[in-house]
Amino acid sequence: MKKFFHEFLKGIFRENPTFVLALGLCPTLAVSTSLTNGLGMGVAATFVLLGSNVIISGMRNIIPGRIRIPCYIVVIATFVTLVEMTMKAYSPALDRALGIYVPLIVVNCIVLGRAEAYACKSSVTNSFFDGLGMGVGFTLALLLISGIREVSGAGTILGREIIKGFDPVRVISMPSGALLVIGLLLAFFNLIKRKK
Amino acid sequence: MKDRLIVSASPHLHKGESTTRIMWIVFLALVPAGAAGVVIFGVRALWVILWSIFFALASEAAIQAATKRKVTILDGSAAITGLLLAYNLPPGAPLWMVAAGSFFSIAIGKQVFGGLGQNIFNPALVGRVFLMASWPKYMTTFSKPLSYDAVTSATPLALLKESGVPGNISYQDLFWGLRGGCIGEACIVALLLGAAFPLFKKYISWHIPFTYIATTGVFTYIFGAKTFFGGDWMFHVLTGGLVLGAFFMATDYVTSPLTRRGQIVFGIGCGILTAVIRLWGGYPEGVSYAILMMNAATPIIDRFTRNRVYGS
Amino acid sequence: MKEMVRYGVTLSLICGIAAASLAAVNLMTKSRIIAQAQAEEGTALKDVLPQATRFEPVKKDGETLYYKAFDAQGNWTAVAFTADQKGYSSVIQTMAGMSRDGVISAIKVLSQNETPGLGSGVTSPDFCGQFSGKAIDGLAEVSAITGATISSKAVIDSVKNKAQEIKELIRNEG
Repeated sequence: MKKFFHEFLKGIFRENPTFVLALGLCPTLAVSTSLTNGLGMGVAATFVLLGSNVIISGMRNIIPGRIRIPCYIVVIATFVTLVEMTMKAYSPALDRALGIYVPLIVVNCIVLGRAEAYACKSSVTNSFFDGLGMGVGFTLALLLISGIREVSGAGTILGREIIKGFDPVRVISMPSGALLVIGLLLAFFNLIKRKK
Repeated sequence: MKDRLIVSASPHLHKGESTTRIMWIVFLALVPAGAAGVVIFGVRALWVILWSIFFALASEAAIQAATKRKVTILDGSAAITGLLLAYNLPPGAPLWMVAAGSFFSIAIGKQVFGGLGQNIFNPALVGRVFLMASWPKYMTTFSKPLSYDAVTSATPLALLKESGVPGNISYQDLFWGLRGGCIGEACIVALLLGAAFPLFKKYISWHIPFTYIATTGVFTYIFGAKTFFGGDWMFHVLTGGLVLGAFFMATDYVTSPLTRRGQIVFGIGCGILTAVIRLWGGYPEGVSYAILMMNAATPIIDRFTRNRVYGS
Repeated sequence: MKEMVRYGVTLSLICGIAAASLAAVNLMTKSRIIAQAQAEEGTALKDVLPQATRFEPVKKDGETLYYKAFDAQGNWTAVAFTADQKGYSSVIQTMAGMSRDGVISAIKVLSQNETPGLGSGVTSPDFCGQFSGKAIDGLAEVSAITGATISSKAVIDSVKNKAQEIKELIRNEG
């Protein structure tokens, strides 16, 4: 059990996909404008990661090495499409907010990266916990970034105004603000890592 | 040694100059424009200037102390950044916003890159663009000249953008600075007066300001009207932040090219971009964006305009 | 050769399973997705034309051009239509209600993905409320949101152009 916990935790801190591996920055930049969007994206990506990690790990002995990438992509694309259809059916608002970025999870390098670097040579349970940890790590990173951006850039938390009369720093909710916030956070986490 | 720049292409010769001395001379050269701004827009402008300089110095000191580096706030560079930022703000800018802009200029525009000499972009303009994107409402509310009672008026360039005609303003008014605008950009006389000394002493070279202003003039003359060669180039030269930007911001040693050829390319680039933004862009004024874009291009300009090695 | 066959079989097997599972989920969610869309359309129509009791889509080539709205007595009083245009970072889709003589009763932004806190202000009542009671020519008076001119303009222009178009269309109808 301790070993699984270790697999799970590494995605959150030591190998956090956003702040340490610097993977999947494109959707991070694009959808981290509000907490709801960040959470929705994080959960969707976590689900895809879990599914693809488990399936690919389960089939790691059947898939021939030379055609593994097309196989991975088919598996990942299937899960993404499932997520998209479910979202459309049960949460149209979130579907509209995340827009094109849900289908783009297919090319999110975290998902393919974990399949290639981990799931294809690890057991199903290990891959399950790896996917879960990476997904949760990605979600937490998105929540941190989108939280900072929503509070400072739009002056709201989950769409509700915090302080009356506060003039939010609009640039933070623009694309340039995403780069600024992610850059500063990366610098901050590097600082912590170096101190250790 | 025709160039007396501190940072120049080789060969180098040491003179008795120091960065600090030059910084403070440029600072003094900027004072007349600020004084004129205070006369034109009232004492509120003075508060914006002092507040901006104070916060620039305080941010520099705080960041240098926090990162355990030598505190160098007396070298004049942070003071100039604060001063130039204030000159690029409307006189009625709220003081909290001035403080935020000043901090951003120093922290993100300069110290993040490693301090003086390392920054890619002109810090004061980074601050201004940050404020422009964050609080456009306060950044585009200008007060009427010589009224002193918070009457607002649009800048001539904004009028031109919205209605197609610059409003009823003479070249004399523009020259003396009797128009709505940012604190330091309005009074052309004071800017030229201030620029004369460092220009004469070659602390700032004429290449960038001259080519910058000339290119903007030529470009607006050709494309500024419905028919070719009918644009009001004089208006475009005298209004907006062109003179302030050309003499004091595009010439920043750190963020502009080293060689004279490079500086001419830089000036022409700034001029074209400014004219393009003013004539066809979304904003009425393009000086700050033009200079920032050319700042980004400076390394590549430096690379292609390197002086030939003697004898090769 | 044997290798190639193995690759082909493996890949088509994986694709087959993927296709089957997608088909299954599609079957389960399809009706719900359509129902969601219809429910949203219904509430949007009610929002822009609250006094109407019945709506009837007018179609051409399978696409809905506009909706006829009828009051409680069964008279055709107004129309509703959707308009869309590219804003700052997304296509903004708006539904608008308009009386038959061309006065806008209300608008509602159906979908947008503009900058939160800036361009997303086009969904606010402060902005949308300005449209109510204005004739098509009067839409020029709608003031744009500070700092979000492009998003505001997209809504204003798209509604204005579509309204003109629809007004032409219904002029000759009884």
